Amino acid sequence: MRWLKPGIAIAVLVVLYLLPFGVSGYILGLLTVAYYYGVAAMAWDLLFGFAGEVNFGPSFLVGLGAYTAALLNHYEGAPVWLCLIAGGAMAVVGGAVLAIPALRLRGPYFGLVTLVAVLMMQNLLVLFAGFTGGEIGLDIPSILTISDRWNYWYALLFMTISGGLMFGLSQSSVGLILQASGQDATQAAALGFNVAKHKLAAFCVSALFSGLAGAMLVFYLATVSVGTVVDLAIGVQFIIAAVLGGRRTIIGGAIGSIFLIGAAEILRPIGQLSTFVVSAVALIVILFFPGGFLGVALRGRERA
Amino acid sequence: MSAMLTVDGLVKRFGGLMAVKDIGFSVEGGEILGLIGPNGSGKSTVMKCIMGIERPTAGSVRLEGREIAGWPPHRIARAGVGLVWQHSHPLPRQTVLEHIELALLPDSLLRVVADRHVADRARAIAARVGLERVANRLPRTLPFADLRRLELAKAIARNPKVVLVDEPFAGLTSAEVADFSELIGTFRAEGHAVLLVDHNVKSVAALVDRVFAMYLGERVAEGSAAEVMRDETVRRVYLGGAIAGTTRRSHSRVSNAPPLLEVEGVSVFYGKAQALDQVSITVREGECVSLVGLNGAGKTTLFNAISGIVPSTGLIRFTGESLRGRTAAQVARAGVVQVPESRELFGDMSVRENLDLGGQHLPRATSGRLLGELFELFPILKERQAQTARTLSGGEQQMLTIARALMMQPKLLILDEPTLGLAPVILEQLSRALGRLLETTGLTVLLGEQNVTFALPQADRVYVLEHARIVWEGSPDRFAEEAGRGLL
Amino acid sequence: MTALQILVDGFAISALYGVGAVGFTLIFGVSGVLNLSHGALMVVAAVVAWYTAASFNAGPFGGAALGIIAGLIYALATFVLIVRPIQRSRAIQNEEKEIFVLTGTLLWGLMTQQAISYLFTNNPRTVLPLVEGVVDVIGVRTPVNEIITALISWAVIGLLYIFVQRTRTGKVLLAASMNARGVTLLGFELSRIYLVTWAIYGLLAGLAGVLLGAFLGVSSDSIGQLTASAFSIVVLGGLGSVSGSLIAAYVVGYIETITAYTVAPSVRTLPVLALLVLVVYMRPQGLLGRR
Repeated sequence: MRWLKPGIAIAVLVVLYLLPFGVSGYILGLLTVAYYYGVAAMAWDLLFGFAGEVNFGPSFLVGLGAYTAALLNHYEGAPVWLCLIAGGAMAVVGGAVLAIPALRLRGPYFGLVTLVAVLMMQNLLVLFAGFTGGEIGLDIPSILTISDRWNYWYALLFMTISGGLMFGLSQSSVGLILQASGQDATQAAALGFNVAKHKLAAFCVSALFSGLAGAMLVFYLATVSVGTVVDLAIGVQFIIAAVLGGRRTIIGGAIGSIFLIGAAEILRPIGQLSTFVVSAVALIVILFFPGGFLGVALRGRERA
Repeated sequence: MSAMLTVDGLVKRFGGLMAVKDIGFSVEGGEILGLIGPNGSGKSTVMKCIMGIERPTAGSVRLEGREIAGWPPHRIARAGVGLVWQHSHPLPRQTVLEHIELALLPDSLLRVVADRHVADRARAIAARVGLERVANRLPRTLPFADLRRLELAKAIARNPKVVLVDEPFAGLTSAEVADFSELIGTFRAEGHAVLLVDHNVKSVAALVDRVFAMYLGERVAEGSAAEVMRDETVRRVYLGGAIAGTTRRSHSRVSNAPPLLEVEGVSVFYGKAQALDQVSITVREGECVSLVGLNGAGKTTLFNAISGIVPSTGLIRFTGESLRGRTAAQVARAGVVQVPESRELFGDMSVRENLDLGGQHLPRATSGRLLGELFELFPILKERQAQTARTLSGGEQQMLTIARALMMQPKLLILDEPTLGLAPVILEQLSRALGRLLETTGLTVLLGEQNVTFALPQADRVYVLEHARIVWEGSPDRFAEEAGRGLL
Repeated sequence: MTALQILVDGFAISALYGVGAVGFTLIFGVSGVLNLSHGALMVVAAVVAWYTAASFNAGPFGGAALGIIAGLIYALATFVLIVRPIQRSRAIQNEEKEIFVLTGTLLWGLMTQQAISYLFTNNPRTVLPLVEGVVDVIGVRTPVNEIITALISWAVIGLLYIFVQRTRTGKVLLAASMNARGVTLLGFELSRIYLVTWAIYGLLAGLAGVLLGAFLGVSSDSIGQLTASAFSIVVLGGLGSVSGSLIAAYVVGYIETITAYTVAPSVRTLPVLALLVLVVYMRPQGLLGRR
């Protein structure tokens, strides 16, 4: 029983790593994007599910990482590894800036600030379109690799490592303190925990992985534009993924993300309406199964 | 040698409101001090100021001589102050044991893995408070008493020098009260300083070494539990003065009238805490029934159950019909009108607008006539018609709330602690107005009060509610000898 | 010349922002809901007005009326299908309901955006003006429609004031926004009050949408910006304060108009967003809100 959950996880990962030997490059490409989105969704869940902070602008952090990497590479020709580090670092700075109001504001106000952060970023990118490429986008000279398989493996490895780290963190002592702070900050403080310090740390970790995911995505897509990494709809997609998969589980974000990309692909024949259908499904899940896929699975087990 | 905890000249102001005025006391190690006061007395604010949750406006809080006033709560907690919360918010997915482990963790971002001994210590603490049977269960599967034990266990895990306990016995059965008293007693035996914060002396009398009583932010008495209970000021604050043996009501109204309200075996739970235990009362047509009980006894809960605001089990019948399944608004329109303790006025509206809203269900002519009658009963409201409700004094607000309820032409008027926070002069006016109302209209009234002096003169019958149960029922003139003594 | 132009244009746009934001504030005050599908409501109303006027010969007035009705229906649907189920859900913890309402209405808005974009593409649509023609206002050539917009907006706000101050239902609504429990104790059904409030909100925001459609034109892409503007207005004005919202509508309307004229129309919301962040950091109770 104790080995069941890790056992399933390892089995699934083994299958995923072996997948390039069995499926087409097209499907690998879809999954590659799903994995990067999955990291962003997991990073969002770390903030919401554990630190109790709802961030309506995950694409702000992803966008910071993506554009930092993209601009460095496009204008300075900086090597990929440096761009990735810079992207992650920039996102951490952005995360810390977001954390300041989060520690002071409650409820809707913080959600509002995060929402505004995305809209402002979107506006600024469009305003300085000459420099940023705006809606049309900026082409990226460097890429990780031209191989579908290797791109897939990079993405999967990145997701495995970041997911493992974030999941580990969520299950650690720090994760426990974070949850207590998210549940009731006053009571956590009265137990002797510096709530501000722990939440700030959670913001930085979440931002780091979001930023890295954005930067990696840029080098996979070989382009960056408002529509692919910053748009509010993209951010909402991360949130939907995490909620669909199951809040407070971390790995739920990855599962939800793969599901979303898969669903969009299956719904491709209906064209533009696919986003509509996916949003509707997410809405129904929120209304009727607020625990998400993993929530349903775990609850089923508990009852048994 | 300085005391473990010393509070000196503590002041807390919220905007224009002085919640705590110049409070000072000290607690030695191995001593239990009861901090007592009715609702709104500022006792909880004092507790929060000690814990650092509220920042004191002025004054000092010293822990073993060290000034801690103004520190953030996590620092105060690390310095050695612990709080046992009345309401816990346990984590949904962590077991009891993990909750105790949490309290044992250092405040560090770098210790990702807990020390090995943490689990052992958590287990030992669970055993000590009687949670070992349920150590691996999730909090939501636990009964209320075990959740309270969990809070206690967390405080023990922090091993604080000073333990603050908020309403230690609220919601517990008497057997559980004994268990808890023993657990809190062990804090004393181990040399901790303990501060029990509660509504009344009685519930903590057996446990405390000394009592410090507060009222409206000020100190009113200090001493042993027995001394404080005998104290004139304390008795006046709680009961409104000496308990008179006779009623002032000239005629006792008939007791064979048909029952208007019947409450049978009603219980209420807030989450898992039992707030009302199998309560049965009857109010006959034309009667004024007083429900006497201290803060926290369950009066408001009973009234809210009748009004359909909180869900309950048991039977509630009004004019012979069950009120089950009706919304709070339907109950009110059926004629059961409540004047809540919290008043619930529309603060930014004028006196007249508040009254008009009460009379909206009536034809205009009727409500106009009613308004005239009410202005006669409460002349001050007529003068203040155009004034905003928020700017009225406490007594005027209370009169307005009653008048607004009367505008609904109630068949049964429920008054929940109308005297709360009012000065004695106002009380007298209110009492006279109520007396006149009863005499002129023959209205049926259910009055919940802690202030016995106010509650008795008007009453035809009296119930005493204590710890979620009805413990006495009888006529007002038998009250003093049979129930009055044990009340405080 | 530009300054006068800004003065006149800003006045009209602010007036119609005020109409939309007052509704937004009202539902927050009465039921504590922040509706992130606000922009979608406005665009739905505008698109219906445009479509019926152009394709069904409903004429500018008929189209406007149908647009407003669409706003009403959309608002009630938002309440009945999204907000109320979340508020009544037992599976969602009470502390999380606010977040769920925000997420739910955001998704609902997104769905609407997709649907409109699918049915009508995301090209900007301009609703037929109620009255054609141009007049001279303090030296600025102003479309008559713009003047009508400002007049209608202020008339509606005035009507709303009379409704709330002079009618029985309005009084109960006002009372509910001050103290919901007090209203229940006086025998008024909160569930009914919520429905009435959402209906009024739908009418107000629908009207604002139609007027905006005739004035600047709307597309499915403006949904996010419109929600952001309304949100900015009510937060700047202090959540739940009607008069604060009206003043804030003017602040926001003018800042946007100035930006649109002097920088670029595409970034008209940017300075307001910056101001909003500043205010939220410094004075969370709003620029004009009471504590």
